[in-house]
Amino acid sequence: MKKTVLDHVLKIRLPLTLFVIAATYVLTYYISRPERDGIGYAPEQPIKFSHKLHAGTMAIDCQYCHVGVTKNRFATIPSANICMNCHSVARKDKPEIIRLTQYYEEGKPIPWKRIHKVPDYAYFNHSVHVNKGIDCASCHGDVKQMEVVNQVRQFTMKACLDCHRAPHENLPYLKQVNIGPENCSACHR
Amino acid sequence: MNNSRNSTDNKKEFWKSLEDYNSDPEIQKLKQNEFLEGVTDDFDSSKLSGISRRKFLALLSASAAVTATACTDYRDKGEIVPYNKRPEEILPGIPNFYASTCSGCENNCGILVKTREGRPIKIDGNPDHPINKGKICAKGQASILNLYDPERLTDPTINKSKVDWKKVDDEIISALNIARNNSKEIAIVTETITSPTYLKLLNDFSAKYQGTKIYPIELINDANRRNAWFDFYGTYEYPSVKWDEANIILALDSDFLGSEGNHIEAVEKFTRKREPLNKIDFNRLYAAEGRMSSTGMMADYRLRISPDEQYEFVMALINELVRKGSAISIDSAVQSKIQKYSFSKFEKSAGKDKLNNLVNDFNSNRGKAIVYAGETLSKDVHIAVNLLNEIIGGTLLYDYSRAFKNLAKHSSKEEIEQLIDSINKGNAGVVIHCGVNPVYQLADDFGYASALKKVSTVISLTESENETSAFSHYTLPINNQLESWGDFSSRTGIYSLQQPVISPLFNTRQKEAILLTWINGSSSSYKEDIYHNYLMENFNTEVYAKKNPFTDARTFWLSALHDGVVTFDENVPTSSKMNQSSLLNTKENQKGGYVLHLTNNCFVGDGKFANNGWLQEIPHPVTKIVWDNYAAISPSASKKLNAENNDLVEVSANGHKLTLPVLVQPGMSDTTINIELGYGRTVCGEVGRNVGFNSIKLMSKNFDSSPFIYSNATITKIGGTHKLASTQEHHSLDETFVKDFHRKRNIIREGTVEGYKKNPHFLHKEKEEIFSITREHKYDGAKWAMAIDLNKCTSCGVCVASCNVENNVPVVGKEQVLRGREMQWIRVDRYYSGTPDEPIVSNQPMLCQHCDNAPCENVCPVNATNHSPDGLNQMAYNRCVGTRYCSNNCPYKVRRFNFFNFRDEFADSYYENDLTALVNNPEVTVRSRGVMEKCTFCVQRIMDARSNAIRDGRELKGSDVVTACQQACPSNAIVFGDANDSESEVSKLREHDLAYHVLEELNVKPNVTYLAKLRNTHSEEIA
Repeated sequence: MKKTVLDHVLKIRLPLTLFVIAATYVLTYYISRPERDGIGYAPEQPIKFSHKLHAGTMAIDCQYCHVGVTKNRFATIPSANICMNCHSVARKDKPEIIRLTQYYEEGKPIPWKRIHKVPDYAYFNHSVHVNKGIDCASCHGDVKQMEVVNQVRQFTMKACLDCHRAPHENLPYLKQVNIGPENCSACHR
Repeated sequence: MNNSRNSTDNKKEFWKSLEDYNSDPEIQKLKQNEFLEGVTDDFDSSKLSGISRRKFLALLSASAAVTATACTDYRDKGEIVPYNKRPEEILPGIPNFYASTCSGCENNCGILVKTREGRPIKIDGNPDHPINKGKICAKGQASILNLYDPERLTDPTINKSKVDWKKVDDEIISALNIARNNSKEIAIVTETITSPTYLKLLNDFSAKYQGTKIYPIELINDANRRNAWFDFYGTYEYPSVKWDEANIILALDSDFLGSEGNHIEAVEKFTRKREPLNKIDFNRLYAAEGRMSSTGMMADYRLRISPDEQYEFVMALINELVRKGSAISIDSAVQSKIQKYSFSKFEKSAGKDKLNNLVNDFNSNRGKAIVYAGETLSKDVHIAVNLLNEIIGGTLLYDYSRAFKNLAKHSSKEEIEQLIDSINKGNAGVVIHCGVNPVYQLADDFGYASALKKVSTVISLTESENETSAFSHYTLPINNQLESWGDFSSRTGIYSLQQPVISPLFNTRQKEAILLTWINGSSSSYKEDIYHNYLMENFNTEVYAKKNPFTDARTFWLSALHDGVVTFDENVPTSSKMNQSSLLNTKENQKGGYVLHLTNNCFVGDGKFANNGWLQEIPHPVTKIVWDNYAAISPSASKKLNAENNDLVEVSANGHKLTLPVLVQPGMSDTTINIELGYGRTVCGEVGRNVGFNSIKLMSKNFDSSPFIYSNATITKIGGTHKLASTQEHHSLDETFVKDFHRKRNIIREGTVEGYKKNPHFLHKEKEEIFSITREHKYDGAKWAMAIDLNKCTSCGVCVASCNVENNVPVVGKEQVLRGREMQWIRVDRYYSGTPDEPIVSNQPMLCQHCDNAPCENVCPVNATNHSPDGLNQMAYNRCVGTRYCSNNCPYKVRRFNFFNFRDEFADSYYENDLTALVNNPEVTVRSRGVMEKCTFCVQRIMDARSNAIRDGRELKGSDVVTACQQACPSNAIVFGDANDSESEVSKLREHDLAYHVLEELNVKPNVTYLAKLRNTHSEEIA
């Protein structure tokens, strides 16, 4: 039997095309996942601040700098005057501290790069989570070991809901934990 | 379902408008259509934007390609920029509140300004202020928008070209010196002076520049009341009224509950005697008026008396009551004057029974009854009313401890004429306008504008361009009230402080600082704190020294700033000696033809707030018209004229003419034409320019007895129409399946005090058996609910204003309101019953009812609206695809759809700019096109309270949450809280005898409970 053009298209061309499309999709999906959900994002900061040194080695409490975290929605990025509480005396000779002092004295705010972000229409509230005893590391990872902070968990609605629905699995260190709210207006308003 | 109670207990039939009453075929047609004609028109995509779809896609892909190649890191999430040195009191995300004082009008209410990260976002009343007690009017609520008005002046100008302050100051100081040296007059035209330090400053100015004269002017003022008080009692300071102690109140063309005087204070006190919760001890309100005012809507009895008849009415009332005995002895001359007047003239127009009731009530409530005349009525009426109150013991209800002070009298007609005369003679060197707009506000026949052209130096100190600044050589931008220092003492014993909550956004200075610089005589003397220091100094001598507290001056100043108000003992004016003979010179108003009555609008005021879109768009409390004023006439006058709503007429009075549309207003006197002031600004920002009609054009300096009342007015139909935008009939419901919807369905339920006393359960005669087709949902924790007491609602619109600011509600403009696309989350519905001549008015705030069985939720194809476990009907904007099924299925018609991105649609994206964006509440999403929205019960406030409760480790209580409308309601008619907490106020109200739900028989189980209004008439039936 003579092979027709149609046979060629149906038996070889079409499956091949479909396979290439599918393979591309799957490959892109897996390769780009951390890119899409932001995991691993570790931008260079204007000042090479080391959480490992401050929070880890020196064991400074997170709230010493992130003062808003128990009080309201925003954990707040520390203003330069908080850095200067120590660095007006400590390590004044280091180049990064000289830059910090320069920012401080010129009255310029430090343009830190943002790492963790939920969309504007989600009104995530730090204080309700922290005041319920949830550890910072549960969302932000072990920042105490990070020289440069990077994102370790997804900040998607799915990630929020996974934990809200099964807090016992995600937060085993909490003896008493309630199911988190799942209604829309808990986050969106 | 048992429907029996519908037919038995509510005889009242309600109608929304005259067209409805007369079953206008057009209304019938309207009711057939769910949405207003044209509501869905205008969706030609090519009209929306000049770019075709193909081009748009091409541009999109091109820009995407460019972005993709240009982007170094597509995961970039931007920056977080913290403070360099964080001010100790500011923590991002937590609002700060500053006490200050509103200088929007002469009431000077105490305000509490909410700021976020240093940016003012909401103004509410200061709860510690003894007069306004945490409430302010709609103007005050919406005035936050004036701070962010994109058309505010940014720099000083000389003949419209921008210059710096030094040049302006130098030139003006030399002009002032020249005027002084040539002994020319320097005129300072200013708004009402209620600030002691501003007054001192003006005196300092006069001392430095001899020949200075001060002219305080105000379009809408209490001069008639003050002058009458002076004639009768010998002092210009008149007492406030203890409305909360009055049993019988007669308001004579006075809108004391809506737009006159300090109505916020009056409403709060008045409604304390409208409290159905405990013992029923209601006051009775009679309103004798020619127009229909908010006070008239609240009245138990309305008497149709036109404003030119008020004098005779009062005299007749005096005559009747003196015959029944008087608390004071009446001079014989006065006695013979009053005997000429009798009620017989009014028996037909006002009704004999009502007049009898009125006289009997006054007679049996001596010492507990008061008569109050409106500020637009003539001095003569006020003098007669002063005597009447002496006779019936109304003087016992005067509160001299909180009297209205008189720091500087308003300029009389004669004084203004003198000024213009001296200008015309070339005797005036410099004219300075401090925050006033006399070219707009003074009657045309004064000739003020043409006189100004003869002055070599005309200066305007103003926030934005106005009619007067157009005639000025120097236009100097001044600070908004939120950027200013100040002090106010409009009432005895009260000293209220104003402090800036944000530094000036532009190159502006506050008006007092500008004048101080000129007093100092050199432009270099200006410093940012120049007036701050001056104020503190005066505070120390005036208040600190008088009060003599134990603390040092600095500490006392700071604590006074913190509280916003200082109270102290002040010599109260007493008016024991009355001058009865002042009555002998009084006379009747001229009569004949129509009488034109010009009144205050409670939203735009004297035109000052014309450029505020929020205020322009709040429906008028009575007529529900937005973005316009009109000539309101009675239904029979409209028949006589053959003029209907929107028909253009020419109104003329005293030789002045104005063309404007007609509005047929039920309940008006047949000879009265009522037009509101403050519209028709010509030099104004884009929002207010040429909105409405300038009724000041009808005013004349040669008025008869009051500048607001003109008899012998004529009104003629001239053909043509001007479409008035009203929110009235937009929400007509389909009547094909339920005829006479709102009449039968008990949307409004009312009773009388007498009836209620006899049978408290009259509203719920039989227990209804309603079964549900859905499963009951259990609400374990809090369940949010609201109760609205219709006994207290005056329809003032403050809730609407407060909600707009809190929830980032956009302004849509008149064209869109005409299409039924207004966006306000709360509205106040107004229903008429009775006859067009004698209507009984019922008001009802309507907002999302957060139904347990919400019909909107079932029909949403994408589950964008659904129920929360604490009883909220929630709306997820990001899910909404804009099918509008929910709005279609909502029986209350409270859902609002964003037909446009109203921020870029309204008047060519007027409100889409960096400046106005600052007014937005950061806790509430700014909605965009294609999204449905509605009242959320201020979910952001609930979440805030919840987060605070968790932080403090306590249970969340219903009383922790106060919604924006509740916080703003001057009469405290709105109560919000946890329905599951049996101790909470809201759950008590839900169980009250008078509690009902609108459209209860639908079994949607709304969570807004209404308390039926009780009318305090003499009968058990509603009239």
